[in-house]
Amino acid sequence: MRRFWKAVRAVLVVLVALVMMVPIVWIALAAFKQHVDVYQLKLLFRPTLENFALVFDSPYHLGRKLLNSTVVSFVTVAIAIPIATGAAYSFSRFRMRGERVMFVMILATQFVPAVVIVLPFFLLFRDLGILDTRIGLILVNLSIVTPFAIWMIKGFIDGIPRDTEEAALVDGSSRLQVIRNIVLPMAAPGLVTAAIFCFIVSWNDFLFALILTTNKAVTLTVGLALFQAEEGDLWNLLAAAGIIIMVPMFVLALIIQKHFVQGMTMGAVR
Amino acid sequence: MTDVPAPEGAGATSASGRRGGLRDRHLKYLLVLPAVGVVVATAIWPLVDSLVLSFRFWKLSKSHVPGPFVGLENYLWALTEEPAFWNAVWVTGIYTVLTVGLTTLLALGVALLLAPGGRLRLTVRTLLILPFAMSPALVGVSFRFMFNPEFGLFDAFFGILLPPLADIGWLSDPVLAFAVCVMADVWGWVPFMTLVLIGGLAAVPSDSVEAAQVDGASSWRVFRDITLPQLFPVVMVVVILKSIFSLKTFDQIYMLTNGGPGTATQTLAHYAYFNGFKYYDMGFAASVAWLMVIPMIALTFAYTRFVFRDRPA
Repeated sequence: MRRFWKAVRAVLVVLVALVMMVPIVWIALAAFKQHVDVYQLKLLFRPTLENFALVFDSPYHLGRKLLNSTVVSFVTVAIAIPIATGAAYSFSRFRMRGERVMFVMILATQFVPAVVIVLPFFLLFRDLGILDTRIGLILVNLSIVTPFAIWMIKGFIDGIPRDTEEAALVDGSSRLQVIRNIVLPMAAPGLVTAAIFCFIVSWNDFLFALILTTNKAVTLTVGLALFQAEEGDLWNLLAAAGIIIMVPMFVLALIIQKHFVQGMTMGAVR
Repeated sequence: MTDVPAPEGAGATSASGRRGGLRDRHLKYLLVLPAVGVVVATAIWPLVDSLVLSFRFWKLSKSHVPGPFVGLENYLWALTEEPAFWNAVWVTGIYTVLTVGLTTLLALGVALLLAPGGRLRLTVRTLLILPFAMSPALVGVSFRFMFNPEFGLFDAFFGILLPPLADIGWLSDPVLAFAVCVMADVWGWVPFMTLVLIGGLAAVPSDSVEAAQVDGASSWRVFRDITLPQLFPVVMVVVILKSIFSLKTFDQIYMLTNGGPGTATQTLAHYAYFNGFKYYDMGFAASVAWLMVIPMIALTFAYTRFVFRDRPA
């Protein structure tokens, strides 16, 4: 009886893995299929790299979208992480007036629907003439990324013991020197983790880019729509674009595995 | 932030910052200032501006300057004259209840299944990270691909399992299309929630479980009387978090069904998007968006209560 249940459990585990992987593997396979093979359920087919060549070529120019996604995510993170680190240090080490209000406010903004945020930005960018630019997109992406970063980094700084800092202060270092020479090196793994997490969030954004870009600044996720033509979806090309979107994020997510969950729940679950 | 002298921080911080440079009591505000600035500029301002916008009549297709204030008219229009609004409320409501319920139950099952460890299980746990790192828009594409009536993988699968289901237009039937949307969402979220719950299970003290087992309690009783109550706070956190994200759902729906067929899968976020950026009715879109903010405030309040549960912040 016990062996029976053990076998049942093993089967269930494999089933879970299967259900989880099928939608990923199936779209990944389609990226290597020729046009004719996509419309059949064959598992054995002659693989081709043709689709990747096609998506990077005219009229799709996926390379530009790839560049946009990379630049936007990279700059967003490069701005958000230093700003978030300063705030996280203060929240972790000091008591401030209105601390709790600020903290809850930062958390709450995370839950505001993206549509609410994008409406005023659309109108503002239209007036400023920066619709369809990377700068606009970076600005709006900061709204989702910064709060995440503050929460994650605060968690890491909370974990650093204060003793070394205090010893250095007594020895005559200034607070800023302490931050630069002691806190930042010790928090470095945490900062990298937060940066990777924010990069993924920014990269996967869809709604902001859908509304705020039309041509020059279109990112990869919105670029997917290029392959939904009037005459039907070009599945092999969609899949090739899909691989370019998901594989780098899989690699990044696996690097920060454990902390991924922490980041998402903003430290509510450890 | 004002210049009012702040109460000095705990511990040695009061002894520090005397020499040169900035004193801690100013520095601490300076360090937070940029972050508060970013949050105010990118979240608080648009929130307030949307609210102002929601009291205006402004069709961008007709006028390039903001229209007159019309009080609550946009809201009243949504609430009383627009069946499509109530359809979106209904769709979003059922969608939220189903995705939150199914995700939680399935994740609890998978977490219990994978919690004990072992090589196979640890490998599967690592894989759990992948669906969640996948762009929701791409999840929508992937599911549309699998549910294609002519060459979709799922269609073939169900066709063999239940022949009457073969070659059904999954995404052209209102009920089935809705079911596929729910399925895609649950697929994307179960792995994440499972990981959170595995973390929660690891924190359940093993000696109380063992003691109950020694006393001869059945597995079910151990789960119900010991594991579940301990896990409850973690379950609540993920349920609230998932509810917030379900209420906001847009990306997948846009790529999977674009709200169709008809308006069968049109969520509130999609409805607001449609009014704002297809009909360019800015005031109305803002009022719909703000009607979405209201339940969000309640959920966020509940969430912060759990987050600050045992923190002296």
